[in-house]
Amino acid sequence: MRRKIETQVIVIGGGVTGAGVLRDLAVRGIKAILVEQRDLGHGTSSRNHGLLHSGGRYAVRDEEAAIESYRENIILKKTVPGSIEQTGGLFVKVPEDDDDYVQKWVSACEKVGIPVKNIPLEQAFKDEPYLSKKIQAVYSVPDGSVDCFTLVVDVVADAVTRGARALTYHEVIEIIRETNGVSGVLVRNRYTGEEIEVRGDIVINAAGPWGANLAEMAGISLHLINNKGMLAVLNHRFNRQVINRLRIPGDADIFVPAHNVTIFGTTGVNVDDPNDFSLDRQELEMMLEEGAALIPDLLNMRLIRAFSGSRPLYQESTVADTSGRSVTRGIALLDHKQRDGVDGFITITGGKLTTFRYMAEKTVDIVCEKLNIAARCTTDEEIVPHREAQSFFKEVDMAPAAKHKLFHWAGTKAEKIEQSLKQRPIDRTVICECEQVTWAEIESTLTEDSPFNLGDIRRRTRLGMGPCQGTFCSYRAAAVAVEKDAATSEQAAWALNDALNERKKGMTVVATGETAKQAQLMEAIYNVSLRLKEGANQHV
Amino acid sequence: MQNYNFLDRSFDACLKCHACTATCPVSNVSLEFGGPKHLGPELKRLTDNQQVIDDKRIELCTLCGNCDISCPENVHVSTLTAYAKAIHADIEGTKLRDHVLSNAELVGVAASAFAPITNAAMTMKPVRQVMQIVLGIPAERKFPQYRFNNFKRKYRKTTSETKRKVAYFVGCYATYNAPEVADSFVEVMKHNGIEVAVPKQKCCGVPMFANGKMEQGLKNAKYNIESLLEYTRQGYDIVLTCTSCTFAFKKEYINYLQSADAHELAKHVYDADEYLRMLKEAGEFNSNLAPMNDKAGYYAPCHMKGQGIGNPAMDILGLIPGYEIQDVAAGCCGQCGTFGFKEEKYEISMKIGKSMSEAIADADADYTVTECGMCRNQLEQLTTKNVKHPMQVLAQSYVKNLEESVHASPK
Ligand SMILES: Cc1cc2nc3c(=O)[nH]c(=O)nc-3n(C[C@H](O)[C@H](O)[C@H](O)COP(=O)(O)OP(=O)(O)OC[C@H]3O[C@@H](n4cnc5c(N)ncnc54)[C@H](O)[C@@H]3O)c2cc1C
Ligand code: SF4
Ligand code: SF4
Ligand code: SF4
Repeated sequence: MRRKIETQVIVIGGGVTGAGVLRDLAVRGIKAILVEQRDLGHGTSSRNHGLLHSGGRYAVRDEEAAIESYRENIILKKTVPGSIEQTGGLFVKVPEDDDDYVQKWVSACEKVGIPVKNIPLEQAFKDEPYLSKKIQAVYSVPDGSVDCFTLVVDVVADAVTRGARALTYHEVIEIIRETNGVSGVLVRNRYTGEEIEVRGDIVINAAGPWGANLAEMAGISLHLINNKGMLAVLNHRFNRQVINRLRIPGDADIFVPAHNVTIFGTTGVNVDDPNDFSLDRQELEMMLEEGAALIPDLLNMRLIRAFSGSRPLYQESTVADTSGRSVTRGIALLDHKQRDGVDGFITITGGKLTTFRYMAEKTVDIVCEKLNIAARCTTDEEIVPHREAQSFFKEVDMAPAAKHKLFHWAGTKAEKIEQSLKQRPIDRTVICECEQVTWAEIESTLTEDSPFNLGDIRRRTRLGMGPCQGTFCSYRAAAVAVEKDAATSEQAAWALNDALNERKKGMTVVATGETAKQAQLMEAIYNVSLRLKEGANQHV
Repeated sequence: MQNYNFLDRSFDACLKCHACTATCPVSNVSLEFGGPKHLGPELKRLTDNQQVIDDKRIELCTLCGNCDISCPENVHVSTLTAYAKAIHADIEGTKLRDHVLSNAELVGVAASAFAPITNAAMTMKPVRQVMQIVLGIPAERKFPQYRFNNFKRKYRKTTSETKRKVAYFVGCYATYNAPEVADSFVEVMKHNGIEVAVPKQKCCGVPMFANGKMEQGLKNAKYNIESLLEYTRQGYDIVLTCTSCTFAFKKEYINYLQSADAHELAKHVYDADEYLRMLKEAGEFNSNLAPMNDKAGYYAPCHMKGQGIGNPAMDILGLIPGYEIQDVAAGCCGQCGTFGFKEEKYEISMKIGKSMSEAIADADADYTVTECGMCRNQLEQLTTKNVKHPMQVLAQSYVKNLEESVHASPK
């Protein structure tokens, strides 16, 4: 007999959109369950630039998107403070770019109400010493930097404390159809193969670039353009603020400081397969050349990896140009009862990370209407617990750099982490030195119900995200996990293989110079010294 | 507070291989130190153009430069640790004692004016105990002697009239503590037909860097560069007898200042034996050396190793007929400039020095030869053998040869 779960609303997709919907439902007291095929943030939500838009980028071309972005920018800074760094941003004009655009842009921002300020060049050079000396004008905007990993994790965690459920590593393999609509989904556990039937009144398709697949499972034809963008991770966070190029938005014109790295991008190429995360060396080189107009030193900076993700862009008519840029990035909220006559099925897609809360609000408004519930949306006021923990760790004897990280990361877990740091020296061990992650932090992310997985740990702690890309910390973490009974040795070996393969994918495309040597060192340690067999039991 | 966003991006290349940590003398004896990888490139990566992170453990770094030698990626590890020291010193406020020890020159001037009293006072127990309490300098610690007749007072030639011109950067140690080294150097050069000029100079800055007084050290560096460039531009070569000063001129000035002047100067800088080796290769070396039947053990200071020029002292002393010199192949001595003078570091200093002292004791040698005055201090503290500078040995051989030839020649 299959296990069955009953609920009111089923949310497919553990990206930021699904997470936002789940939390909004929970805040309004509606029973809900989220199902995600892998880990939270597996899709575009962890494969993007992490820019909390001020709206400046859209001001000239898409006023509506600019207004939405600026409004949500202010709301998110207040409601998810733990995942947003209020870095501020700069728009910088280089000689290559159109002079007339500057004034047009300034007026457009003023019209939307985005506070732009002219910054004297001297000041800009002081704050951002890596800026090109040829720049001609600089304006500041209230951009921010989002940690998209913690954002999704924290939003879901808050929903769960409010009574919602989340099943990760559970893939929807079937949408249960009735004559007039849908009544649930069938999910399969990726680790165990177990199938569970989840029943509910409404199913929300928040599967991002996979949205069309899910619609098809419900017998609905939906045309999504998946516009794949490439991003490069620089070895160090060279800028304090977001740096945008002041021109008609194009490729390779944004640098976002993210924790200890800077993320640089991006591009846009339409692809068919949502699982296409391929990386192209030529595309990268083109990007670097373009980016050097703002940051000349870019060409000498070490890249530690690259990644790509797809923007799910929806348009009613199916004609699109190949670049995908002229398609509206607006939000698509589709009630399939109205559109296709299929009751109980809603698709929410498009939009941006920055507008996820608003997208959720609109979606749950329809849900309420359908379920005849009067609850109003309050996610513009309700705060997701902060991650600051400045009042902890004062007496813990550990590396200041590791402590520095905990101050901005530990959040609701601070007390528990502090205790373990104080009690056990091994918990103070810095496992990942690049990103200064201690065992105590790793342990605080482990849960009973999901197996030891270095990828899950990485997204939650930044383990292995530094220049060595897990060369040293992967085996350290695995070894301590076995010693501490957090994993069996088979689980640890599997996790190591899984993690290394994933890291290598992102390193290969940037692998010239130092990163090529780093990859060789990694290879030597794991395949020669530790005799790890490649490809051993990969089941996820 | 100075701007710490100095653009040394060598940290970018770090592969986290830990070779530097494995060779760091301090990491080898103490778990309390964060190690060169962490306190150098790792910390710099986390803080470049960002919020400063102050790590107190950086005090334990001696700036010996062994990390630089071992790094396969050419990361300027000790430049990065030097800056970490400067940041820490600024934040913590420099302690009075570090102030005194970093001002080798000021102390030198003051102490040698009262040399007889200073030297007596330094060996008197009660005085040393007061020093330990007030300044944190361990009472057991030996101090270099200060000389009344310091080299600055005796030698005042500022130009050279010979074909090859040498401008001598004397350094504090040979000026105030061991004028015999400076005298020997002048003698050796004289035997090679070279007149030595002594330009205006200030302490090279090494002790200031080591105590985190980057700003003050760089002030001295700029002063020296300006003064010495006046000489090099007139065809002088800059020659030094102190390996730490030489190391500073060749590497630290360049890495810290990154200026064209620093690069220009470095091209003209030679260690004394390196210079003689160059003369030898050019066929200009005077090899009229009297035989000496000594057995010596050579101890290479870290800052000599860091120059990457081999063992010029052994190459040159090996030319003395009958002279036997062997490399004792010992690691860091543990004195490390002013490091070993500090109370809280005394134990680490002694631990580091242990393998060095064992190697010296084991070596079949009558005395030890080394260039560095600070190493000499440690060698004198930890071993029973005498310590000489290579220039002293060489001068002795030249003088002896001259005396013998005077005797031998018919009247
Ligand atoms: C290159 C790039 C840069 C971007 N930069 C920014 C930016 O700087 N700022 C900004 O605001 N926005 C940015 N965006 C847009 C933003 O990232 C996306 O709009 C947002 O992340 C979409 O989230 P989502 O939850 O809708 O989709 P996703 O994050 O893709 O979530 C969909 C989830 O559904 C899951 N799923 C799929 N199929 C199934 C199934 N059968 N069963 C269960 N689960 C399933 C997937 O695993 C996935 O986790 C960028 C986008 C790209 C591509
Ligand atoms: S300079 Fe010497 S003491 Fe300092 S980190 Fe390098 S090797 Fe260690
Ligand atoms: S030796 Fe060089 S590359 Fe290796 S860890 Fe040290 S600084 Fe990094
Ligand atoms: S390193 Fe040289 S100049 Fe500097 S204190 Fe020592 S002897 Fe003086």
